[in-house]
Amino acid sequence: MRKILTIAACLALGAAGSAMAQETFPRNGVYDERTGLVALTNATIHTDYKTKIENATLLIRNGKVEAVGTKVQVPAGAIVVDAKGKHIYPGLVDMFTSYGLPEVQPARRNWTAPPQEESTKQGAYNWNQAIRPETNAVELFKVDKKQAEELRKLGFGTVLAVHRDGIARGTATLVTLADKRENEVILLDKAAAALSFEKGSSPQDYPNSLMGSIALLRQTYLDAQWNNMNPGREQNISLAAFTGANNYPQIFEANSKLNMLRADKVGDEFRKQYIIKGGGDEYQMIKEIKATNAPIIVPLNFPEAYNVEDPYDARRVPLDAMKHWEMAPSNPAALQKAGIPFAFTTADLKDKKDFLPNLRKAIEYGLSEEEALKALTATPAQLLKADKHVGSLDKGKLANFIITSGNLFAEDNVILENWVQGNQYKITEVPADYRGIYTLKIGQQPERKLQIAGTPEKPELKVIGQDTVTGKITVSGNLVTLSFNKDKKSKEAIRLSGWYADKNLQGEGQLPDATLVKWNAKFSEAMTEKAKKDAAKEKQAIELGNMIYPFQAFGQAELPKQETVLIKNATVWTNEKEGVLQNTDMVLKNGKIAKVGKNLTESGARVIDGTGKHVTAGIIDEHSHIALQGVNEGTQAVTAEVRMMDVLNHEDPNIYRQLAGGVTTSQLLHGSANPIGGQSALIKLRWGKSPDELFVENADGFIKFALGENVKHSNRAPAHNVRFPQTRMGVEQVYVDAFQRAKEYEQAWKNYNKMSKKQKAAAGEPRRDIELETLVEILNGKRHITCHSYVQSEINMMIKVADQMGFKVNTFTHILEGYKVADKMRDHGAGGSTFADWWAYKMEVKDAIPQNAGIMHHLGVTTAINSDDAEMARRLNQEAAKSVKYAGVSEEDALKMVTLNPAKLLHLDDRMGSIKVGKDADVVLWNNHPLSIYARAEKTFVDGIAYYDLERDTQMRTELEKERMRLVQKMLQAKTTGARTQGPPMRRASVVHCEDVEHHAEEDYMAY
Amino acid sequence: MLSVPAFAQVPVPAAKQSKPVLLTGATLHVGNGKVVENAAVGFDNGKITYAGPLSGANRNGHEVIDVAGQHIYPGLIQPNSQLGLNEIESVRATLDMREVGQFNPNVRAVVAYNTDSDIAPTIRANGVLMTQVTPVGGTISGSSSVVQLDAWNWEDAIVKADIGIHLSWPNMIINTGMAPNPRMASMGQNREQAIVELGQLLRDASVYKQAKNERENLKLSSLTGLFDGSKKLYLHANYGKEIIEGVNFVKQHGVKDIVVVGARDAVAVADFLKANNIAVIYSGVHALPSRSDEDVDMPYKTPFLLQQAGIPFALDYDLSTHGIRNLPFIAGTAVAHGLDKEQALAAITLNTAKILGVDQQVGSVEVGKDATIVVSAGDILDMRTNNVTHAFIQGRKIDLNDKQKYLYEKFNGKYRTEQPATAGPKAQK
Repeated sequence: MRKILTIAACLALGAAGSAMAQETFPRNGVYDERTGLVALTNATIHTDYKTKIENATLLIRNGKVEAVGTKVQVPAGAIVVDAKGKHIYPGLVDMFTSYGLPEVQPARRNWTAPPQEESTKQGAYNWNQAIRPETNAVELFKVDKKQAEELRKLGFGTVLAVHRDGIARGTATLVTLADKRENEVILLDKAAAALSFEKGSSPQDYPNSLMGSIALLRQTYLDAQWNNMNPGREQNISLAAFTGANNYPQIFEANSKLNMLRADKVGDEFRKQYIIKGGGDEYQMIKEIKATNAPIIVPLNFPEAYNVEDPYDARRVPLDAMKHWEMAPSNPAALQKAGIPFAFTTADLKDKKDFLPNLRKAIEYGLSEEEALKALTATPAQLLKADKHVGSLDKGKLANFIITSGNLFAEDNVILENWVQGNQYKITEVPADYRGIYTLKIGQQPERKLQIAGTPEKPELKVIGQDTVTGKITVSGNLVTLSFNKDKKSKEAIRLSGWYADKNLQGEGQLPDATLVKWNAKFSEAMTEKAKKDAAKEKQAIELGNMIYPFQAFGQAELPKQETVLIKNATVWTNEKEGVLQNTDMVLKNGKIAKVGKNLTESGARVIDGTGKHVTAGIIDEHSHIALQGVNEGTQAVTAEVRMMDVLNHEDPNIYRQLAGGVTTSQLLHGSANPIGGQSALIKLRWGKSPDELFVENADGFIKFALGENVKHSNRAPAHNVRFPQTRMGVEQVYVDAFQRAKEYEQAWKNYNKMSKKQKAAAGEPRRDIELETLVEILNGKRHITCHSYVQSEINMMIKVADQMGFKVNTFTHILEGYKVADKMRDHGAGGSTFADWWAYKMEVKDAIPQNAGIMHHLGVTTAINSDDAEMARRLNQEAAKSVKYAGVSEEDALKMVTLNPAKLLHLDDRMGSIKVGKDADVVLWNNHPLSIYARAEKTFVDGIAYYDLERDTQMRTELEKERMRLVQKMLQAKTTGARTQGPPMRRASVVHCEDVEHHAEEDYMAY
Repeated sequence: MLSVPAFAQVPVPAAKQSKPVLLTGATLHVGNGKVVENAAVGFDNGKITYAGPLSGANRNGHEVIDVAGQHIYPGLIQPNSQLGLNEIESVRATLDMREVGQFNPNVRAVVAYNTDSDIAPTIRANGVLMTQVTPVGGTISGSSSVVQLDAWNWEDAIVKADIGIHLSWPNMIINTGMAPNPRMASMGQNREQAIVELGQLLRDASVYKQAKNERENLKLSSLTGLFDGSKKLYLHANYGKEIIEGVNFVKQHGVKDIVVVGARDAVAVADFLKANNIAVIYSGVHALPSRSDEDVDMPYKTPFLLQQAGIPFALDYDLSTHGIRNLPFIAGTAVAHGLDKEQALAAITLNTAKILGVDQQVGSVEVGKDATIVVSAGDILDMRTNNVTHAFIQGRKIDLNDKQKYLYEKFNGKYRTEQPATAGPKAQK
């Protein structure tokens, strides 16, 4: 006869079996192996995310599924568990956890401590401690009962353990959550390789910026390839491990939409399709995320509502944070709609218990249940190539499954048991449902009505007699305890203890006068459906605000469109030989300046009355640091390998603010913490477009150099006085050395490329070095230098080094003593891009003068006025006017200093910088003389698109305030209904960058 | 041509006015909102003797300077200034604005004011003739004084000494919900402690005069003026709630005359400021909005909004010391964003003088006041037209040269002699 158990019976089946054996282990005692043959019958079994079988049996043996279906023969000797009314799902899989791994302590260096240039890790490892591909999580992994239980409670049976330390993190291991020896729970010792942009515990200085991390990862790919192709040239355990790790699925922890796109680009370069761990904000750039083709791992870390009761504090909550609060739960649905494959993770949740409630919320917001289950079973299993073990309940797979009281995703569902490798773990004691109306009889007292309502987990008691009183009821298994006051006025309680039998309750109790009594409560009627419904929360319709681009205040649901525009009767500053034209018309069409002249007509054009107004070319800022995530990779003297284009942030509100000041194009420069900094990005201020759409098309390459106090660390703590160079003498040698190495590098490649195949094979390929490649570009005139400089000695030195090594300095920027050596600059062919009137903020600018731009200009140096300051960039036209005031430059020439001249310095003057037919329609309509303090930009066109329009701006302000108020009301409502809240954030800049070392005030200072 | 002696980068202070001067034919901007076309301004012994239509002016005995077509303004005043205390920001030895310690009410900024600063002459050249020498740092930084920018030493420079005490209201680190990191928690504690200690200090100072003190307490005695209104309290605060908290706190402790400095959020708390009759020194017109959701021109239009709200205010240029010469242009920006030109001028002249308590002496071109006057060829508020041709401090005609003009001449001369083919620009003026 078979022993039949029910789930409700809650019998522990104990250790039933494990997929892995421990054959090699000796035993202390006799062998105690059991088959763990169990049949769960009459259940609703979800064998995979899309298949549901009613009234089915699941048969498991030795920790694996032996059979599943409606026609399963239960063999003799099986323990049969009747799971009638219950659901069985495959155990859930989380492919991004730190389960069982040591905690990672991010390195935090005190600014008074000296920089650490070299690795302190002993052994034949990589030069950089953030590159640690030799790490195998399987070697660090230890079963952690507490963590395992926490995850099992959520329904997980299998997790990927990722050691989240460093940029190249080595391999991750796939383990089950059984409380067994490590040897038994590891499913795949190396299931995936892990990468990120975060250097983790590495105390080494480099990289201290996101762009540095990207460059280091790129160089590591090249180094590993070279190391692999040239065995014996350099023994390097890390590089060998990196090559080895390339064979596994690659999981990239990006954690934000922009980092996801950045990671994908690195992957594209080295032909890797990463699986990317996101941050839950993918919906904000769904088109771009989709285009990565990456499967993604998504957290369910929906933000808490902000505490907005205080209107002053509420003002500190930015619109994007409010909108993200509202829209984050719709992220999974957006991914599903876009057809992006994804898996869910419990990562990033402050409280893991939020996982299932948040998952249900995501379903409420439009995610299908099927997709939800897929993201927790089949998708992670497939991505990890572990689908023969987990992800569904088929014959031969692990006996990893959960038993639930109903639909896993239903609000009132309870996970009853979680079986891992055939081991049963009880999650929830099934509360018996005692709810109903009973007739209560206590001793000799008159009968009363007893009502048990609420939920099975939290029953509520009411006793209805002469007086109606509420009381307390606690249920444990089939034991019950009741207590309630004798009558309404009394505080004396009647206390009853008893048990449940045949739908009735009975037992013994004590009255307030200490009398012991017997009592019983006979079941008379079940709870009405209505009462049950009242207990459940009322659902509200989901209403979401508009998606806006960029996801930021002053973002818009619809971006402005390119149009044909006819500006009538304006004063047009052409910057061409025509000079300033009065009462002139112009047409913008297809993104270009189509016509300039008198009495123009253009059919279909929007006509703008320019009477009393001025039109100029868009302002070009030769020296800007807006729209960047990180400015300095100042850790090494030469960092030509880093690229500002890698760290564009299209959501920087300064883009919009500067459009309002007439700026249309900016050169985004690396900071000035080192003699050779990073590669520039040239962008147009196309507010609302994605980072890739901001770049100026087909622009030449530029790079930042820097001289003087910043690169020699003059204004840093004394601990920093160890990095070469510390003097202007040393700075010269950095350049000579760098370019000498670049020449030798180029020669080595030339020599190699000339070789025959055989010779090449014998010699081996030279190592590709992205730093030296960049310097070679400079030597070959393919990349152009913008050199931060102040005093005459260093300017002269730079020119001499350039002459000696055979390159040109395109532009000296800041160049506050340019007036002392303007003749030398002119003879070298260098331009100057300077401040209008800054000086005295440090020693090397004590001789700066506001006539500097004027002198350089008069000597024939192409001269620009730049900002280096997100605020001043909004007034560059007025900064240019100072050269009229201080040095007698003509007004037309002064305007050119912020339009045509920077266009020349950036090699863009063939399409920007003046009002000329055929050039880009990057123009500004001013309400006043463009050099006057009273001038305001009314419209700023980029490519003929009015990205800034004063009228629309006014309207947007109203809409923005309305949207904020709607969200504030919604948050207040959420708080009233019990949602957790958080305080308003600190300033946005510190929120975004608080993790980034380079954003210390000191480093920001290095920008100028 | 400029005549710049090669050895004198800081010009010699001008001698005392020796005979009456009459400026004729200019547009007079009085500083109180009034404009007089074709005006004359006369002064003698350093005091203004006439300011009105040219037709009513008496030329007898005056040195007449024809400034027809030009503009006459009161000398501009920069409040909340570190000029003369901060020469080269990155060189510690040149810095004298920040004393160590939390409470330094007895510290006097004026004694460190360097009349030989290379920067000061460049500031004067754009029309700024007076500053409020102001200490910074700690919770109470010390006392400030008003100086004029043409003097042999700090004593000579004083227009009015020790006009008020500067209190930097401890920053609110509001972080109720999120788990604050340890550093922030300690900042919060420091703030609470600073406020407690400040309260004790003010409480003890308020009774110091009445008590018989066997021993002098410099800190307490330097604060007593706050309670009889003889000294102002300059409360530096920016965030709206800080302004309200700070003002209420010092009022409760009996401080009579309060000016809020910084005041980035002044518009948000305008009703409060008005109800409490508080004047504002608004810093940072040329600033980015404080928050990403703010109107992009919020700092630019704040002066106009303050004007509309009826709050008395002055402007200060707070981006850098060398940049104080741009004081007229932040007023100009305020004009571009709604403020009337004469109101904007008042915000850097008469309003400032009132807020600093020196309006009996300076701040407008009116009879009896100091002849501290500036003449510009064009509108002084616009860099396109700002061109200071004459400046007088207490009737003394000051030398408008500076180190920068000297360097300009020096190198311009080099290029002129060495490279006649590409001759340098015309010398300015």
